[in-house]
Amino acid sequence: MKQWWSVAGSCCVFAIAMGLWAGILALAQTTSSRKRNEQLTFNRDIAPIIFQSCARCHRPGESGPFPLLTYEDVKKHARQIEIVTHTHFMPPWLPESQPLEFADESRLSEKQITAIKKWVEEGSPEGNPADLPPQPKFVEGWQLGQPDLVLSASKPFQLPASGSDMYWNFIFPLPIDRTRWVKAVEIRPGDKRFVHHANILVDRMQNSRQREKEPGSGFEGMEIKIESETFDPDSHFLFWKPGTTPYVEPAGMALRLDKGTDLVLNVHLQPSGKPETIQPTIGIYFTDQPATKFPMLLQLQNDAKLDIPAGDRNFIVSDELILPIDVDLLAIYPHAHYLGKDLSAMATLPDGTTKTLIHIPHWNLNWQAVFRYAEPVFLPKGTTVSMRYVYDNSEYNPVNPNDPPQRVRGGNRAKDEMAHLWLQVLPRNFDPKAGDPRMALQETLARHNLQNNPADFEAHYNLGAMLLRQGKAAEAIPEYEAALRVRPQDTTANNALGAALIASGQPDRATAYLRTAAQRAPEYFDAHYNLGNALASAGDFPGAAEQFAAAVRIRPDDADAHANLGSALAELGQFAEAKAQLERALEINPSHALARENLQEMQGAASHP
Amino acid sequence: MLSHLAKFVLTRDAPERSATQQRISSLSLLLLLFPLLLSLAPAFCATQQTPLDLDGNVVNPLTKAGQSVVLVFLGGDCPISGRYAPTIQRISREHEKDVRFYLVFPDRSETAQDIRKYLHDYGYSIAALRDPDHVLVKQAHAQFTPEAAVFDAKGALVYHGRIDNLYASFGHARSAPTTHELEDAIQAALAGRPPSNREVAGVGCYISDLQ
Repeated sequence: MKQWWSVAGSCCVFAIAMGLWAGILALAQTTSSRKRNEQLTFNRDIAPIIFQSCARCHRPGESGPFPLLTYEDVKKHARQIEIVTHTHFMPPWLPESQPLEFADESRLSEKQITAIKKWVEEGSPEGNPADLPPQPKFVEGWQLGQPDLVLSASKPFQLPASGSDMYWNFIFPLPIDRTRWVKAVEIRPGDKRFVHHANILVDRMQNSRQREKEPGSGFEGMEIKIESETFDPDSHFLFWKPGTTPYVEPAGMALRLDKGTDLVLNVHLQPSGKPETIQPTIGIYFTDQPATKFPMLLQLQNDAKLDIPAGDRNFIVSDELILPIDVDLLAIYPHAHYLGKDLSAMATLPDGTTKTLIHIPHWNLNWQAVFRYAEPVFLPKGTTVSMRYVYDNSEYNPVNPNDPPQRVRGGNRAKDEMAHLWLQVLPRNFDPKAGDPRMALQETLARHNLQNNPADFEAHYNLGAMLLRQGKAAEAIPEYEAALRVRPQDTTANNALGAALIASGQPDRATAYLRTAAQRAPEYFDAHYNLGNALASAGDFPGAAEQFAAAVRIRPDDADAHANLGSALAELGQFAEAKAQLERALEINPSHALARENLQEMQGAASHP
Repeated sequence: MLSHLAKFVLTRDAPERSATQQRISSLSLLLLLFPLLLSLAPAFCATQQTPLDLDGNVVNPLTKAGQSVVLVFLGGDCPISGRYAPTIQRISREHEKDVRFYLVFPDRSETAQDIRKYLHDYGYSIAALRDPDHVLVKQAHAQFTPEAAVFDAKGALVYHGRIDNLYASFGHARSAPTTHELEDAIQAALAGRPPSNREVAGVGCYISDLQ
């Protein structure tokens, strides 16, 4: 054929060629009717595969670069489809097949892949129109109907035309005036062709705003860590990848969002060759049913062991954790960066049986995802959950960010590495009277992380928090002190140590730490409030009143702050002002016992001087 | 052509007798078609001279001797083609004095209007051609988009294949390319020496309906 075409300069020769083709096509069509029984056709054999496994993304407005909805669409890309299905690049699905099945597995069977190959080799015939199944129906617009709340990024991100992958974070302040329960979130990440994945983090402390150059500007960064100083562990995966349909939480597992909470959307983008404007939108669906089940995101990690020599093709990092309580495993999210090669996680039950939780033999950061199990996986107390990640830091890893390869350590940047495994677990036999079972998980996790890395700030802090919550202030203090040795200026740790010292009856020692926290973060309510309490305990009422006044300025609707400010002012003999503050506390919370008591006492004192 | 016919008969599963009948009737069909199509041939000629510029004029970028020519094959719906726009524009800008650049769109279903929009979206000011009959595709031995071909001043193909190694495979893009085959080939062509590679397969989208 090649030779024939290369001399096809004359139009008449060309016309003959066309004529011969027409003849051949006529012949081929006669044959196909004879061979109908074994020849694969688009309408009968291929369309069902494409419609089921490809069309969700390959349609206008979705992630796929071209539609695959008609015979013409598919025929045009037939050879491409043959190759990418054969290499398992499409549909994108990283985990190997395993007994513990995932929901929405989008893997093609070997039979389907072979069928596509055979069909392409046979010339991609269309077949009998009567065999064609109806085109799949997709919901247009919001997948679960109009959301109760739609938030749009206040400022779009301009994705440059060229360069490597970008990671951008958008902050969505929540315009809610009370605690709401969320059953589903739909992430619309912007033009889906340029977004690889997107992930929402719940920022209950508005911590991330500090990273914006100006309010609403967003900020760059691949990994963001959001600190919360109260025990309020992350509980839900809010994840988008191409082809995702929004996940509706099961009954009783709604996500709590409070007034003042921010949602932070982390988006992984890839330049397209032209400048693109990315402006994501989030749709939130509320429910009236508060949560009765409280899952927790459990993280195994061993970043401290990530110190990968240049050229190492097989660097292994592992970690394991023994579960302190019975849990159901609902979903799993393995995470590494560009050097990750083979990622796996196992569960070894107390009776010795092992279960593969996930195995990704060819890690590809571009297709990272949260994988939900088709059925919850019961993991009894005493189960060892283990992860084993293999890294390739050689020149043979084509996506190695360094050329030539360089020593790589754990870190948050794209050219650093990570060894993280997130598990969404739901503690079994939840008895609210027996305390939050997630605290046992958190404590186990913190102790475990300290074994891996004795200088783990977060682990010391979390362990301190768990101990303080159990009323073990004396045990919590050394943990907070250890955390402060790692990060002496950390405001939350200074505040927490101050709070622990107050709780253990040492307000004098507490003031220095609380003052550090309040000075470093003038808008930090808790530091001012706690410092006010410490000063009041030590009899310094002018100092206390000053701190409570700062607390009231930061949170004008906090009844406790008003009540304490009123009490401190009363101690200073400023009764009129004290009365106003105590009355304000009662206005906010009519059942505020302390405010009522102090008000009555003060009025009694005033009427009987 | 005959090999197709032979293959057709051999792969049939029908009984021998009907195969023979089939063959005879098909041959007679071919004989009928021949004179018909020959008589139609002049009508074909007017519309089948490719490649074409976006106004529908016949252009053959390789017939003008005296200057090196680079063809870059692109597919409007191929994301890897799109991602190369800044690189292609940079390379063409850096060599515009010495080399004539053409963007070639081989997909038969892409109209001049589609291509104009594409050029506008990506900010191209490089001449674009449609090659629906794959005349240039064949001369450049192109298989994928994006793919480049470098012809020297005498019109000889000195390099064809990937622009650089940004993509190691589907879905595996490096943070930046580490080899630059197209630029190397242009420099070699301008220096009158053979490039270090004559051909390096690319990663991209198969050109549809490739014969």
